[in-house]
Amino acid sequence: MIGRILFIAGAVAADARRRKIIWVVVFFAAIMAAAIPSLPSYGAGVVEAVFREVALTLTYAATMVVTLALAANRIPSEIERRTIYGLLTRSVRRWEYVVGTWLGIVLTVAAVVAAFCAIIVAVGWIAYGEPMLVLAQGGLAIWMEAAVVAAFCVTISSVSGPVIVSVAALTFLFITHVRSSLLAPDTIAWRLYPSLDAFNVIAPVAHGSGVGVSYVASMAAVLIGWAGALLVISVMLFGRRDL
Amino acid sequence: MAVKDVSFYVHAGEVHGLLGPNGAGKTTTLKMLLGLVRPTGGLFAISGTPITPSAREDVGFLPEQPYYPTQLTAEEVLTLYGRLSGLSRTQVKERAPELLEQVGLQGRENVLLSHYSRGMLQRLGIAQALIHRPGVVILDEPASGLDPVGQRDVRNLILDLRERGVTILLSSHQLSEVEAVCDQVTILNRGTVAATGSIDDLLNVEGQVSFRVRGAGDSLPVTIADSVSEVAFAGGEWMFSVSSGRVRATVDGLYDAGWTVVSLAPKRDSLEDYFSRLLASTSEEVVL
Repeated sequence: MIGRILFIAGAVAADARRRKIIWVVVFFAAIMAAAIPSLPSYGAGVVEAVFREVALTLTYAATMVVTLALAANRIPSEIERRTIYGLLTRSVRRWEYVVGTWLGIVLTVAAVVAAFCAIIVAVGWIAYGEPMLVLAQGGLAIWMEAAVVAAFCVTISSVSGPVIVSVAALTFLFITHVRSSLLAPDTIAWRLYPSLDAFNVIAPVAHGSGVGVSYVASMAAVLIGWAGALLVISVMLFGRRDL
Repeated sequence: MAVKDVSFYVHAGEVHGLLGPNGAGKTTTLKMLLGLVRPTGGLFAISGTPITPSAREDVGFLPEQPYYPTQLTAEEVLTLYGRLSGLSRTQVKERAPELLEQVGLQGRENVLLSHYSRGMLQRLGIAQALIHRPGVVILDEPASGLDPVGQRDVRNLILDLRERGVTILLSSHQLSEVEAVCDQVTILNRGTVAATGSIDDLLNVEGQVSFRVRGAGDSLPVTIADSVSEVAFAGGEWMFSVSSGRVRATVDGLYDAGWTVVSLAPKRDSLEDYFSRLLASTSEEVVL
């Protein structure tokens, strides 16, 4: 069971590696990251914080583009091209296929985020003489949020095509990031509101000293909750679908 | 509803053909069998065991017009499907070369599939269906896209698999292919079983015998001329049929006239004729 999931994940990651979109996004993100130090300076001690904030924002945007590119069309294209027949007519269960696909996307995005982090840390080091390893915390949070977005895309793509998945994912990102604008903190509605704000660590990473281990653990718990719930829904939807 | 009340048995070790016009429900039936489409009722079983993902470990499937990621090579495709079928990397390495040779792709294992022709992809599809040595093989239009040599190779491969005891369910539009390799056939029309049985039972015309004879003269001997029907002449041989009760008299008549009997067999429809007649009759029934 685990072996089949990992094998499907490996196949998804290998296929993603062969696609140009990842390399194109990494390439342009690297160029933009290298250009960040040329932004206007705000004064001694602030410029590094501005660099970190812009670098993380860039990483976030590039990661979401890659996640959507990989996740929105993975299942629909496998169904359309009928490559899925070769998998599901063997002893592979549908839930194994769904989880393996998600895992493959998440592993690929992890590699992409790691590459972005390496680039922005290197650029920061060269430009400011400071390694800024705290940016890795931001990268971890971005990757976790991308994992949730990938689970959402896999869920919607279980029953729909790539255009609807992309629009739905953007809507999902918007809705899950407006809680603080809509609701007063620590109310019941605030607690029940579906939010991904837990992964927003740009402020402590860019302007502070980062987040602690307990906060990282809480982010992991949020990731597991979101991804678990979405994948269960995806398995239920995909399990009932005629191919 | 694409399919309703379809029941048929495929006996172990036989080649069973699934025939029908477009839209008859062949592919839907195969998809239900393989778990790709959920039936609203009924049961599919292998050796009495309902088909579950675990039971499909012993099933190999060639979809109609198989497609594989074009960035892969044949070796990578076989590794992917072999590993998913539970083979170790070593087992796949041993199995892949012999399979690729069997389907005529030896020496092309490291060529990207983007450079493969339609026929080569079809051959690769057959190889992936057989990678784990399944006991049951389901082939959807296996000769589709193949040239005559490729079609002959597929036919020989099917016969070879049957000799090794593999059970084969074959869906095809190519009636000559079905007639050449199948022991039993099931004909679907409009989602129901129009006919099922052995090829011989379905095609043999009861009470009639076919002759192929050779002799001097530009017409059949007068002594038998009145008792024969469906007379044809080609390649220096005469072909005709007679009723079973007239076989002895016909042979004697030919012998007396100095003619040679080349062959003598129960009269048999071509599958094409039988198929067309059956579909016409079942369509009329539906209209009525």
